[in-house]
Amino acid sequence: MKARAIGERRVVFEPNYENAVEVKDLHKSFRLPTERSWGLKQAIFNRLRGVKGYKEQKVLKGLNFQIKRGEFVGIVGRNGSGKSTLLKILAGIYYPSKGEILINGNLVPFIELGVGFNPDLTGRENVYLNGALLGFSNKEMDAMYDDIWEFAELKEFQDQKLKNYSSGMQVRLAFSIAIRAKGEILVLDEVLAVGDAAFQQKCNDYFATLKKNGQTIILVTHSMESVKKFCTRAIMIEGGKIVHDGDPKEVSEKYLELFK
Amino acid sequence: MNIPNVFYRKNRILLKELTKTDFKLRYQGSVLGYLWALLRPLMMFAILYVVFAKLLRFGGDIPHYPVYLLAGTTLWSFFTECTSQGIQAMLMRGELIRKISFPKYIVVASTTFTALINLGINLVVVVIFALLNGVTPSLSWLLVPVFVLELYLLALGISFLFGAINVKYRDIASIWDVLIQALFYAVPIIYPITMVASTSQIAAKILLLNPVAQIIQDVRYNLITPETITTWNYLNNPIVMVVPILIVIGVLIAGAAYFRKKSKFFAEEV
Repeated sequence: MKARAIGERRVVFEPNYENAVEVKDLHKSFRLPTERSWGLKQAIFNRLRGVKGYKEQKVLKGLNFQIKRGEFVGIVGRNGSGKSTLLKILAGIYYPSKGEILINGNLVPFIELGVGFNPDLTGRENVYLNGALLGFSNKEMDAMYDDIWEFAELKEFQDQKLKNYSSGMQVRLAFSIAIRAKGEILVLDEVLAVGDAAFQQKCNDYFATLKKNGQTIILVTHSMESVKKFCTRAIMIEGGKIVHDGDPKEVSEKYLELFK
Repeated sequence: MNIPNVFYRKNRILLKELTKTDFKLRYQGSVLGYLWALLRPLMMFAILYVVFAKLLRFGGDIPHYPVYLLAGTTLWSFFTECTSQGIQAMLMRGELIRKISFPKYIVVASTTFTALINLGINLVVVVIFALLNGVTPSLSWLLVPVFVLELYLLALGISFLFGAINVKYRDIASIWDVLIQALFYAVPIIYPITMVASTSQIAAKILLLNPVAQIIQDVRYNLITPETITTWNYLNNPIVMVVPILIVIGVLIAGAAYFRKKSKFFAEEV
């Protein structure tokens, strides 16, 4: 098997540099297995037969953009256009196949709420575990502990096992922990899309505060309402390429035209 | 290329919390809880003791044979637990790997640490048994942690190497399960190495080149009785003698390097 080409993702801390994110000629392809079974046996057969055994699926095809500090950028596009892949690459979960990424500052991703939540642990134990995933020590969590439960409005459930929480309660708890994370760049993937009206309101308030504080934010969403309301700039991705980049109003109109 | 920093604060916090969680979860929902960490190896020892020491009379003239056997089974239990769970670690923590960016070695480290903590508890029991059995404490006991560390590094290397392959080819975990069963009989745990040596010296020498055998014999030598055959007092060629050490170092370096290379794609493949 040929070694996979790898692009580069670098993280620097240069508070005086104007860009928070720089993406240069970013490509990403995945290897999808072509055979039904992809165990060891198949791998050996494929090698003997000289077959590759996988198909190269190109998801991102040469993206170029820069995000300045303090920008609130919305990334839009239809399902399968490559938005989430881009997000995961920015977050350092996937490696780029080709190209260069520069992250200037501490990047905090919210790909999904409640990652690492364990149903067999109590709410209390999960808060500490989730906090550790965000980089908080037990001591730091002690200081925030009461605020987290206060904000989630779940104080009386803290010593219950998480499996006895409703899904809405879990999301509220997760969100309440997630917003403690401090970073120069926040990356959000549709976390707004869950929860009831009251929860949506809380999310909106949170975004409004972030915007006021001048944080750099990258938001992937299907809600053109949020794009118009919060974003200072929008990028539309279609078929793994950037097709529009600019004013949120114009881009959201272009996005809606896709579905006409 | 930068070396992943184990002492980077964020990684340390995560490692600690994941180890704690692993330990808590392992015995969740069982009545005896953590006691199982002790009971399982003790029960395995009881079975082996009845079969091999009492029925088959394998012990021969080895002093303190029950403790001798217990030390062997305890270390072996650790080796099995540590490797099989280390190999599976990435799949167990697949959700985290798919959704959070963090150094993947933390997952293997936390799982193997849990096994190491269990071993620590069990070794206390071995020491208590040794004292009850009339073994006199000596300074050589202080050498035991060195061999425990050697065994841990071997298990860690295996976990890195096979764990990384196992992300893509899930057959590895099953292959290892069978392999380790076979390996059990190649290590002088239930039978004393003197039994092999009396039939064929060459065979005994070959068995002692296995790092697991070397470690178990060394722990027995230092903890229980100097009347133990070890790699050091039985093999006379100093170059051959270091083979077990070289195997441990080789497996660890190869495992870590391969893991490091492949870990970039774990999020896509797990």
